[in-house]
Amino acid sequence: MSMLGIGWLIAEAAVEAPEEGGFAASILESNLVNLLIVIGLLVYFGRGFLGKILSERRSDIEAALKDAEDRRQKAAAALAGEQQKLAQAQQEAVRIRSGAEARAVAVTASLLADAEVEVQRMREGLSQDLNAERDRAIADLRQRVSTLALQKAESELPSRMTDELQTNMINHSIAMIGGAS
Amino acid sequence: MLSFIATPDFPLASLEVGQHFYWEIGNLKVHGQVFLVSWFVIALLVIASILATRNIQRIPSGMQNFMEYALDFVRDLAKNQLGEKEYRPWVPFIGTLFLFIFVSNWSGALIPWKLIKLPEGELAAPTNDINTTVALALLVSLAYFYAGFSRKGLGYFAKYVQPTPILLPIAILEDFTKPLSLSFRLFGNILADELVVGVLVLLVPLFVPLPVMLLGLFTSAIQALVFATLAGAYIHEALEGHGDENEEH
Repeated sequence: MSMLGIGWLIAEAAVEAPEEGGFAASILESNLVNLLIVIGLLVYFGRGFLGKILSERRSDIEAALKDAEDRRQKAAAALAGEQQKLAQAQQEAVRIRSGAEARAVAVTASLLADAEVEVQRMREGLSQDLNAERDRAIADLRQRVSTLALQKAESELPSRMTDELQTNMINHSIAMIGGAS
Repeated sequence: MLSFIATPDFPLASLEVGQHFYWEIGNLKVHGQVFLVSWFVIALLVIASILATRNIQRIPSGMQNFMEYALDFVRDLAKNQLGEKEYRPWVPFIGTLFLFIFVSNWSGALIPWKLIKLPEGELAAPTNDINTTVALALLVSLAYFYAGFSRKGLGYFAKYVQPTPILLPIAILEDFTKPLSLSFRLFGNILADELVVGVLVLLVPLFVPLPVMLLGLFTSAIQALVFATLAGAYIHEALEGHGDENEEH
């Protein structure tokens, strides 16, 4: 309670006033005139000062709101534009896709046909090659057979050929020539 | 007018200091006049807030604009002291301190309370009673202890020995000097202002006290600002610690 003690110390120094006092006195006593002047001054100057601050604040807020609104509208317009572009791009994408699909089908068909033709051609070429090879092999064999027969004939000729036989042959040949002429 | 002053026993004005309008609540004796004016101030603030928020417009006007301006002011005050990151939860506390003290001081300086006669004591600003200011200052102490403990737990005590343990007594003493200086600064300024005005009114009833009254309005506002600012600074100090968290900036 030291706080109260301080209060009481001051109280001892206080000027004690009589308890009674009329209303007319209490106008001076209550400092009413001065207070009214102070309040008047405060209202007079404060209204201007505070009014300026508040109206500035209000106009700032208005400007900020308007600015934000403008930007919102701009953004909305931009959004709409971009959405339109997006729709266009999507259409374009669909178009490109369907075109590409059609082209893919066509290319696949033509490739398949080409491959078919190529296979056919290769098959034909192959059988041609086969035939040629067989023919060559047959010709080769023929030649070898004839060569071998000739060799065999030549090798057997000296042992089989007697003078008599030779003469007969020559005579026969001459006879043939003579007969022919 | 002169004859009034010449009359020796006519009560031109009187000073009553230390006279209180006591209410008995249980065992407690409370200063009724402080309660009455505090209720008036609270009612004023509540009514202003209700008026400002009753019909909220997108573009504020009138009362809403004014109270939003006050809120901006209080928020900037808290932001300046506590920093961008921490200030938000403390705006209500610091703002309430500022608004209550400010409206109390100005109501004491502007409203002719002496027109209302109390059986004992007189109505005045609640802040010219030391009990009010001590209560407010203790609230600030609680607030910064709460801030420190909620942030760091028991590690808050580390701040007492933070730069060097030699300063421990001073650090402990600070916790007592903070509410003491807060409460006495506010109480002293407001009481002194009202006393000076009272004495001048006693001596020269008209016009001469005007400059002092205007000065009183100014100091009242400044004291409210100082109290709220210091409350913010103390809370900030408790949140940040002494020297170990400079890197946060």
